[in-house]
Amino acid sequence: MMEIKSWMEQIIQSPDRYAIPVMTHPGIEMLGYSVREAVQNGEVHARAIKALSDKYPSKASTVIMDLTVEAEAFGCDISFPEEDMPHISGKLVDASTVERLKVPSLAAGRIPQYLKANRLAAGMIDTRPVLAGVIGPFSLAGRLFGMSEIMTGCYLETGAVELLLEKCTQFILSYATALKQESGCAGIVIAEPAAGLLSNDDCLQFSSRYVKRIIESVQDEQFMVVLHNCGNRGHCTDAMIQTGAAAYHFGNAANMTEALAQCPADALVMGNIDPVAVLQMLPPEKVKEKVTQLLEETAPYPNFVLSTGCDVPPHVSPENIRAFYDALAAFNQK
Amino acid sequence: MENILEQIANCVDKGKINRSVPYPPEMKGQPGVDELTLQALELNFPPSEILSKGLIAGMERIGTKFRENRVFVPQVLMSAKAMNCGMMHLKKFFVDGTVAHKGKLIIGTVEGDLHDIGKNLVSMIAEGNGYEIIDLGVDVPATKFIEALQDHPSAFVGMSALLTTTMANMAVINQTIKQAFPEVITFVGGAPLNREFAQKIGADHYTDGPQEMVEILDKLTINNAS
Repeated sequence: MMEIKSWMEQIIQSPDRYAIPVMTHPGIEMLGYSVREAVQNGEVHARAIKALSDKYPSKASTVIMDLTVEAEAFGCDISFPEEDMPHISGKLVDASTVERLKVPSLAAGRIPQYLKANRLAAGMIDTRPVLAGVIGPFSLAGRLFGMSEIMTGCYLETGAVELLLEKCTQFILSYATALKQESGCAGIVIAEPAAGLLSNDDCLQFSSRYVKRIIESVQDEQFMVVLHNCGNRGHCTDAMIQTGAAAYHFGNAANMTEALAQCPADALVMGNIDPVAVLQMLPPEKVKEKVTQLLEETAPYPNFVLSTGCDVPPHVSPENIRAFYDALAAFNQK
Repeated sequence: MENILEQIANCVDKGKINRSVPYPPEMKGQPGVDELTLQALELNFPPSEILSKGLIAGMERIGTKFRENRVFVPQVLMSAKAMNCGMMHLKKFFVDGTVAHKGKLIIGTVEGDLHDIGKNLVSMIAEGNGYEIIDLGVDVPATKFIEALQDHPSAFVGMSALLTTTMANMAVINQTIKQAFPEVITFVGGAPLNREFAQKIGADHYTDGPQEMVEILDKLTINNAS
């Protein structure tokens, strides 16, 4: 496998456009497994990713965007619906208990299954890079502290929130390092959607400076970081860029051409077909129209990579996924 | 001293709870909604004016700024905390009928979904705009909405969902509500939803922000009153 930095340069220099949707559920469905099985069994998870890589021409494979794995390792109660992503019940800490919170080991919860899934997927897929996934520090802290509580906690209990962010960062960093050293993945997607609820200044203070530390520690010519923030409506793109990620991934709330104009030309900028309102709810011909429109709008930017605005949910029809790729192929043939 | 109502509105807008809370930094050490509301009552301002020209006016300002992307979720929640502090002092006037709510809103995140931040934002802004909130929490089944409507048949109903999979539960709950209480007006919202989905499941209104919802509620309550 080529160095990931060269792979990125090749994408930017190519006259063709590429797609990297955040997509695993269609693979789980193709193999007849439930979501519950895939998020608990690393082998099922890896086989789903492999099935998708065999079927669709993504430029890279992505793993399940499961924002409960790290919180579970810390001790959160998790419920596992059969056909939906796991949910966190309640909150784990408040300002008075943050200090006692222990940073878990990588043996906690389902972390070993996720390490296994990434290792197996990277071993099975030799046609493209596999991008692992971790949650971002603020999004993890929000799950442990309560999302509404952390929003005001940033102002009213700043010390406790910063201590919690420190512990979250330590854990994510050790997880990301293990993914880099042991899994064979070419990079990680850091999912930090909750930071999109903050102003740019708060995003810098309570998210980006922690994300930056993770990136500075793991990102190099062989390992890239994609920073995903689907909560950003365009107001905190600057804070995202301050992290120095190799790639930025935007949700459908952001204007893609404005994001492209703001991001560095040597970073990949990915987005942002609405996974629900477009991919799940529209007929295939409308999906094609939406994808073509996005490709045309972003045509002046060589660093654009077609993607979904967030994880493709369960029950998206194969016809719509095919329409997504067909629109890309048609655009490249023009 | 008419100015005190404007000061209350400004403190709600800025999220200034009381003198001891150091937020926002530029108002550190100054009195907040807590002290100013008490002061206004001592000065014999009618509680209904403190509510409408102070607390509600402040929440309208922050709600508008939120809709225009000039402030974000934490600032709105701070405003709501400040507003709640003022409401505590007015509570007895709601009980004795000196002041009245504009209407009632039963609200909950639908069954299977444990996300509460969107629901909480809407609750707080609606409450700050003069509505009584019956918050059913998260993971709320149709039966709980029906029970709440039996107790508050004139209430509006708001349903929130953040998961694509629980949107299906929203459709079932809306249908159950409409069968039992055809005249009840329902609202739906949440990140994966859109207007087409709301129409498809027969909900009366979809809004993508709390202030927009309050504006619709205000129109509906004015129409009902006239």
